[in-house]
Amino acid sequence: MIVSIAVWLMQDLLQVLMMGFMLVPDFFMLVVIYMTISKPLNERRISWWLWFAFIGGILWDLRWVVIPGMSGLINVAAVVLVFWVWNRTPIGGRSAALFAGLAGGIHFLSGIAHYFLWAVPSQAATRMFLIQQLLSVPALAVLCLIYAFKTAGQHV
Amino acid sequence: MSKLNSILVNSLVAMFFGLMTLWMSYALPLTIRFAADKVGVMLSYPETPVQEIRALVQTAGNWMMERKGLQDRNRELEIENLALRAALHDAALPPPVSTSEMIGARVTLRYPDAWWKEVRINMGSSQGVKIGAPVLSEGYMIGKIIMAGENYSWVELITSASFLLAAVVNETWDLGVINGDDRGNIWLLYMPPEREFKRGMMVSTAMVGDYLPPGIPIGKIWGDGDTRDGFTPRSVVSGAHLTQLYNLQVLLIGDVSGVRN
Repeated sequence: MIVSIAVWLMQDLLQVLMMGFMLVPDFFMLVVIYMTISKPLNERRISWWLWFAFIGGILWDLRWVVIPGMSGLINVAAVVLVFWVWNRTPIGGRSAALFAGLAGGIHFLSGIAHYFLWAVPSQAATRMFLIQQLLSVPALAVLCLIYAFKTAGQHV
Repeated sequence: MSKLNSILVNSLVAMFFGLMTLWMSYALPLTIRFAADKVGVMLSYPETPVQEIRALVQTAGNWMMERKGLQDRNRELEIENLALRAALHDAALPPPVSTSEMIGARVTLRYPDAWWKEVRINMGSSQGVKIGAPVLSEGYMIGKIIMAGENYSWVELITSASFLLAAVVNETWDLGVINGDDRGNIWLLYMPPEREFKRGMMVSTAMVGDYLPPGIPIGKIWGDGDTRDGFTPRSVVSGAHLTQLYNLQVLLIGDVSGVRN
């Protein structure tokens, strides 16, 4: 949990630093997705991460977005989707590649939702969106490596 | 199955609260604004050092570019000041004692949906900021304070459709009202169509209140609008870069010595 709070804060500080130049990737959501699936799918744990993602999203909205509630809803939907896919995937198939595809796809869809609901569609906004998605790739790669390292020789 | 049910219930409840917050942002915008300001104040503690770093990097980058412009502007102001002092001397009037003070402020929030309407800054009533105080960027007025919290304030931008400000064309002394359109344009309203204004004529504030002294530069006349109801609005180009509002100045008028630490 402390790691997730630190990531949220780091994302906020990065956004302050880059305000006007770029939108920082949603590192918080990526970490929450990772935390959701990195351990056995326990009911209480998933519910807890669900609310944690929701509160993180609401706080982000209150700090940066004009439509509070949107990021909270997106984060909740992300956790539910990840849980649903992971729960339906046989243990042998829960690979780092699946995690990368899932987290990357959700991050992309979340970016699209923010782009259309929050920003004024324009060339500059599109460029910011693309940079945001590109910058999420290294973070995603790091999380995949951690996941692969953690699950090497075992399946969660 | 019960595992799924519990998560489903939790997600539905969370989504309900999320939708409630969304509804509140439309139905009760002031409540949401209040919450956003509280979060902003809470985060201002860890964000302040980062803002300092950002300002430092930005200042270093812009230093060379801005230096020449500021030197030219300083020279213009010095000449103007000397001329005014000479005029006062000729009129045998004592030079006025300055009771104003300029404080630096940083933009902490600029909503995309309200890009041309308002920004939030990191200075508030505890630093002496009062409602109505003019806010400047690069020496030009870009807005006024509409809400002052303890350590933050909201600035209504000159490009806002609800922004109205008495202004004067320096060269002709014609009075009008400055107004925005929420799309980045600035208009000088209520100007007679027969008056001819040259492109580049300076527009400044006219005397309107205790916190807003006359003579603060706003921008330059750029062109004519469509004549309507017997008036031809003139478009005005701000002297400041309105798309790059990061470091601003708030003009505090009156006795501020007891307020600031």
